[in-house]
Amino acid sequence: MTTSEPTTTGGRAGAGKPPVVSERVVTTRSARANAHIGKHAQTIAIGVVLVLLLIFFAFSADRFATTGNLLNLLRQISPTLIVAIAMTFVISTSGIDLSVGSTVALSGSLLAIVLQHGWDPTLALVAILALGALIGFVNGWFSSYQNIPPFIVTLAMLSIMRGTALRATEGYSTPIDGDLWIVQLGQGRVAGIPVPVILAVVIAAVGWITLTRTPFGRYVIGLGSNGESLRRTGVNTRKVGLAVYVLTGLAAALAGVLIATRLSSGSSNAGTGFELEVITAVVLGGTSLFGGRGSMLGTILGALTLGVIANGLVLLHVSPFYVQIVQGAILLLAIFANSKVWARFGAVRK
Amino acid sequence: MAPAESAAERTVDRVVMRDIRKRYGMVDALRGVTLRVGPGEVIGLVGDNAAGKSTLMKVLAGAVVPDSGEIVFDGQTVSFATPRDARELGIEMVYQDLALCDDIDVAGNLFLGREPRKAGGLLLDVARMHRDARRHLDALNIRIPLTDIPVGGLSGGQRQAVAIARAVTFGPKLLILDEPTAALAVAEVETVLELIKTVSAQGVSVILITHRLQDLFRVCDRLCVMYEGTLRADLDARATSLERLVSEIVAHDQIDSGKNDAGEAGGRKEHDTTEGARR
Repeated sequence: MTTSEPTTTGGRAGAGKPPVVSERVVTTRSARANAHIGKHAQTIAIGVVLVLLLIFFAFSADRFATTGNLLNLLRQISPTLIVAIAMTFVISTSGIDLSVGSTVALSGSLLAIVLQHGWDPTLALVAILALGALIGFVNGWFSSYQNIPPFIVTLAMLSIMRGTALRATEGYSTPIDGDLWIVQLGQGRVAGIPVPVILAVVIAAVGWITLTRTPFGRYVIGLGSNGESLRRTGVNTRKVGLAVYVLTGLAAALAGVLIATRLSSGSSNAGTGFELEVITAVVLGGTSLFGGRGSMLGTILGALTLGVIANGLVLLHVSPFYVQIVQGAILLLAIFANSKVWARFGAVRK
Repeated sequence: MAPAESAAERTVDRVVMRDIRKRYGMVDALRGVTLRVGPGEVIGLVGDNAAGKSTLMKVLAGAVVPDSGEIVFDGQTVSFATPRDARELGIEMVYQDLALCDDIDVAGNLFLGREPRKAGGLLLDVARMHRDARRHLDALNIRIPLTDIPVGGLSGGQRQAVAIARAVTFGPKLLILDEPTAALAVAEVETVLELIKTVSAQGVSVILITHRLQDLFRVCDRLCVMYEGTLRADLDARATSLERLVSEIVAHDQIDSGKNDAGEAGGRKEHDTTEGARR
């Protein structure tokens, strides 16, 4: 009635056809392609960067491309990767957890202390993981149930946990008895592969499936994308928002255990700047800081890229102090690329 | 109230809202509204801004609890404390702001919150989700070629269609659409209007809130005009002209009447007083 003009993009039905007016602007082939490329462009890009870095270091640093070094690299990056997997969930909900580094320090320190007090290692491990989950619960409760910006909540927790770790250890490192089985978590190998690497791979696989193939993963994305819409469908969005912080707390506690057992000592200074490394890995992988888009594969590639850079620079005898500078610069560049460059692919509009 | 009385002869109403009142502090949002909707009927709810349309619909959708009044749904008196209560009875509201998750694909949005699952409820049954989504979209004549693209990549009309389709997949008896065509291109409006016809042909009652008056005559059976918290007119859409509808919305005869003028003047005076007090 009001319109019979064909639209620019839509193939409108001819006059002879019954008036199925619901024919509309058909999604064009390019829009389709854009939607798909936009989703994966960053993951592909970081994959390319990783390969280029691998080639570069393989030719410039003698010992880089050896099995021993690569396994060492993987072991070094495992704690980061484990926490980055959990952090991908948090950032996908448009949250952030800055307290993971402090949680690493606290869990490693307390593990060493309780082991020194003669706790059973298994009990100690369970207790430390429970503590991590509790820290995450507190973060999540304030952020999700009380609507306090997670940036502030976890910044406060960062200070509280670091302070608690310092208080508990009085600033000294606490040695861990090398005969205890728990030391194998950080130092052991199965079929030549370091245990932390195996743990990281398993956790990455579970995280990947959870994010892409479970209702929980779907709600995490939905919460970051349009929380109100998700809430109206009847999903308990606060619970989802809280659960992701429990995941990072748990992952950070495990990372703390891995680092402490690797070094056979619990230190309140462990995990300094760890949160930056983790967040950089996640953002580098294409997960949007504004929520709604999370890529587990991207996070894995992002963590590997950071590991390769840190390892490669050391092998090139670059001062380790530069690693921090490079990491910060990468974070800034990644966020810039996230919000400016990839936006051209259409899928990002925030 | 007179039109409501005359409609009382009808056999079974899908929903009857009787003498609904709601006050927000000094503001009388609803001053005793009575509205009835038959099965499969499309009602156009119109009125100027702040006439009470949205509040009335929020009452019906359970998002606002009225101060007094009665809601009868399928012959039974009901009361809603939350939107969930209303939804359980089969009342679905599609909000103006397109309550979709832009980053989730079409199928995911259609089934958000009640995804088909497998492996004992642990995993999403993605294949079935896309299959069901395709079936639902086809049944509603919605042409979206792919169900696996994020809805953020769709046009406004397609997004609105997905939002309506999602509400329809809940199997509602009453669908409330708040400004579904407000931000759409002309061709896209057609899409949504056709969709409304399709849905009502399936026996679903529809209440359509819109400012696009020309749309109302295309799809509505009755036009209900609200004015300052009351239901001012209940018109047969087929026997009403656009001019008549407009004059009902702006309430021409009331503006001419001295009573309303006095009220207006009083309001203005009050406003002046508060201004003075502030200074």
